[in-house]
Amino acid sequence: MYQLKTRQICFFIIAFLPITKFFSLPSLITSFAKEDLWISALISLAIDFITLIPIVYVCKKTDKTFFEIIEDVFGENGAKIIAFLYLIYFMSKAILPLNEQKDYVEYTLYTLKPNVFYFLPLFILAFYMCFKRIRVLGRLADILWVVTINGFITLIVLSLSNADFSAILPIGASGIKNIVHGSIASFNWFGDSAIIFLLVGSFKWEKGSSLKILLSYVLGAVMVLLFMIIFYSIFTSIAFRQRFALTEVSKYTTVINNLGRFDYIGIFMILFSNMFALCLPIYFSSKLLDYIFSIKIIWISPVIVVGFQLIITLFLYQYFVSIEMFMTSYFAIYFFVFGNIVPIIISLITLRRNKYAIKEG
Amino acid sequence: MRLKKAKALLICLSILLTLFFSNDFGLIDVEKTSIITAIAIDKEQDEYILTAQVAVPEATDTNTENQKAQLSSKGKTIGEALKEMGDVSGWFPKLAFCNLIILGNNLANENVVNLLDYFAKTLRLQDSALVALSEKSAKELLSLSTPLDNISSFAIQKILLKATQFDNDVAPTDIKTFVSGYYSKNQSGYMPLVKVISADNGSGSEGQKSDNSSSSGGGSGASSGGDQKSQGANTESNNLFDARTTALFFKGKKVGELSPEETVTFNALSKNISGTSIAVNNVPLNDKECNYLLNIISDSHSVKVKATDSGIDLNFCLSIFCKVSDVFSTGTEDSLSSNTKLPKPLVEKTKQLLTNSIISLVNKSISTNCDFFNIKEKLYRYNYSKYSQYKDNFLSKLNIKINVNVSGQK
Repeated sequence: MYQLKTRQICFFIIAFLPITKFFSLPSLITSFAKEDLWISALISLAIDFITLIPIVYVCKKTDKTFFEIIEDVFGENGAKIIAFLYLIYFMSKAILPLNEQKDYVEYTLYTLKPNVFYFLPLFILAFYMCFKRIRVLGRLADILWVVTINGFITLIVLSLSNADFSAILPIGASGIKNIVHGSIASFNWFGDSAIIFLLVGSFKWEKGSSLKILLSYVLGAVMVLLFMIIFYSIFTSIAFRQRFALTEVSKYTTVINNLGRFDYIGIFMILFSNMFALCLPIYFSSKLLDYIFSIKIIWISPVIVVGFQLIITLFLYQYFVSIEMFMTSYFAIYFFVFGNIVPIIISLITLRRNKYAIKEG
Repeated sequence: MRLKKAKALLICLSILLTLFFSNDFGLIDVEKTSIITAIAIDKEQDEYILTAQVAVPEATDTNTENQKAQLSSKGKTIGEALKEMGDVSGWFPKLAFCNLIILGNNLANENVVNLLDYFAKTLRLQDSALVALSEKSAKELLSLSTPLDNISSFAIQKILLKATQFDNDVAPTDIKTFVSGYYSKNQSGYMPLVKVISADNGSGSEGQKSDNSSSSGGGSGASSGGDQKSQGANTESNNLFDARTTALFFKGKKVGELSPEETVTFNALSKNISGTSIAVNNVPLNDKECNYLLNIISDSHSVKVKATDSGIDLNFCLSIFCKVSDVFSTGTEDSLSSNTKLPKPLVEKTKQLLTNSIISLVNKSISTNCDFFNIKEKLYRYNYSKYSQYKDNFLSKLNIKINVNVSGQK
C-alpha cells in the first residue's frame, strides 16, 4: 500500500531540500569560489538533477521500494552491505547541518551561552519522527512547504533592495579549479537525490508525476541559487566569513532599521522547517538500521541513531572544525559516490532489468 | 483516544519548540545588563579607550526624557576593552541595540579596520550599525548634550540617517559597507565626519561652549530636561552636530575629506537624492544677481567605466528635475508653491556648479587614492579583460566625460 502521494513528494522537495543550504553553506562555498559561488552551487544542483532523472524513471517503471530494488540488484547480503554504506552516508550527512543549526541558534538567538539542554528538543523530535512510518514525511511536507516558502519570500523581499547583483561579475573569474573545489566542498549539503531514492516505491505513480517531481526540484534549485546570489550581492568581499547567512541577508533594509528585526518572523519559519529537514537523515538512518539488522522493536534503531548524533553534538564539539574540514574535503567523495553515483548505477540497472523483464514477459 | 494522544503530542511538541526557539523568552537580568546605544573609540598610546553610552531604563509613570550613563574602559583590543567594561561595572554589555560607532580623530591616521573588524565579525552587535568619525575625541562627542535629545548618540543618529525624501546631504555608512569596501578591490571607504556646532551661532560655526546653559534649542524648540543626570564632561545643551563633511579612507586610513557641497554631489551620483535642496547663488538675471534654493523632485544618475586600449572612460551622467524652493529677489512673478519654469541662467549655473563639483570629486579621488566611485571594482566586474592592464594605475588613466542635465517645469 502506498503511503505517500506525488503531491507530497513535490512538497517534500520544496519544503526540506533547499533550506539546509541557507546556513553556513554559502560562506563555505564563497571561501573557495568567491563571486562564482552560484556556479559551484549550480554544478552541485545539476549533478543532483541528473541523478534524480533515472530515479524518477525507476519510480515510473516499478512499484518496488528502495530495499527491494537493492535486493534485486545485489542480492540479500549485498543489499545489507549497500544499506550499511547508506547508513554511514546518512549518519555522516546529518553531523554538519545539525551542528551548524546548533551554532546558529546558540550564537544568534541567545545573548548568553545557553545550557546544554536547549538543543535537546531537536533530538527528541528526531527520536519521535523515527518511530513513525514514512507517511509522517508526507504529512509534514503538506504543512511545512507553506512555512518554508513564506519564510523564504519574507527574507528575499527584505534583502533585494540591498543586493548589488553586479557583485557576481565577472562570471568564472575565480577559475574552474576554485569553482569545482567549492562544489566538492558542498557535497555534504547536496546529494538530495539519495533521499528521494529512499522514497522510491512509497508513493503512487500518477500521470505527469515525473514532470511534477522534476519541476519541484527545479523550483528548489532556483531558491538555492537565488539565495546564494543575493547573499554574495549583499556581502561581496566579506561574504566568506558570514557563517550565519540566514540572519544577515535581510537586516540592512531601511524598513528593518525603522521597525526593528521583524525579519526574524521569516528566519523562524525557515528554522522551524529546518528542524524537520535535519531530522530526515536521522530518520532514514533509523530505517536503514532496522533493515540491516532486521530489528523489529521500534525504539532500538531510533535510540542508536539519535544517541550517536547526540554524542557527537555534545562531546565532539571541540573537534568540530576538524570534522568540518574532513567532511568538506576527503569525505566529500563518499557523499558524491553515495549521493549521486550509486543511485544512478542502481537506477540504470533496475531500468535495464525492468526492460528485459517486460520483453521476456 | 487517538485524538487525545495527538493533542498531547502537539502540546509536548509546542513546549519543546518553545524551549528551543524562545531564547529563554529573552529574559535577562536588567540589573546586570547594560543596553549600549553607542560606542565611542579613542586611542591613548597603544590602548583603545572604549566609551559606551548606556540607556538606563527607569520605572516611572511620568513623561521624562531618556536617561543615560557612560562607561569607559581600556584594552589592547576592542574585545578586551568590552570585557573590562563588564568586569568593572558588573553589567553584561548588551550590544544588540548599539546603532552607532564613533571613532575619535586620533584614530584617523591608523588603519581603522583593525578595530571595526571586531564589530563586523561579532554577532553581539548588528553590523548595520552606523560608523562616523569625530572631529574631536569620540568620548568628548558622546559626552556632549544637545537640545535634540538628552542622549547625544540618538541626536547624532538623527542627522546621519534622515527621513527619506528629506535632504540627502550626509553620506552615511555602516560597519558592513565600510569593512567590505576595505576588503574589496579598491580598499576604499568613507564615513561622515561629525563636527560640533553651537545651536546659538547656527550652522557652520565651530562649537564654542556658551555660558548660557539655558539656551533655546536651536530652532527645534526642544529643551533638554535631563542634563543634571548626565555624567558627561559637558553638561550644556546648546550643541548641535554637523555631519555634512565626509572623511575619505584608503587602506583603512583617513586620506582626505569631501566638503558639504561635494558630499551632496557624491550622493547624487550614488543614490536617489530626491527631496534634497541645493543652493545656487549669484545667478545673473535681468541685470541683477539672484540667489536660488532648488529642490530636487527626481533624479537619475550613473557612473560608467569602460576600459579601452587608450585608457579608462569614466562617464558621469546626472540628470535632475527640480523646482525653485526659494529665490532671493523681489519682483518675481511666479509663486513658489507652483512648479514654474526654471530661468535659463539658473539652469546653466546649476549645470556648471554640478559639473565643477564632479571634476572636484574626481580630482580628490585621484589625489587621495580613495576610489569612492568604485572604479576599480567596476573595472574588475565589467572590463575583466583589461583589469590586469589597469589595476595598478587606473586613476592616472581616466578619460572623464560629464553629462549633467538640469530641468524644471517645461
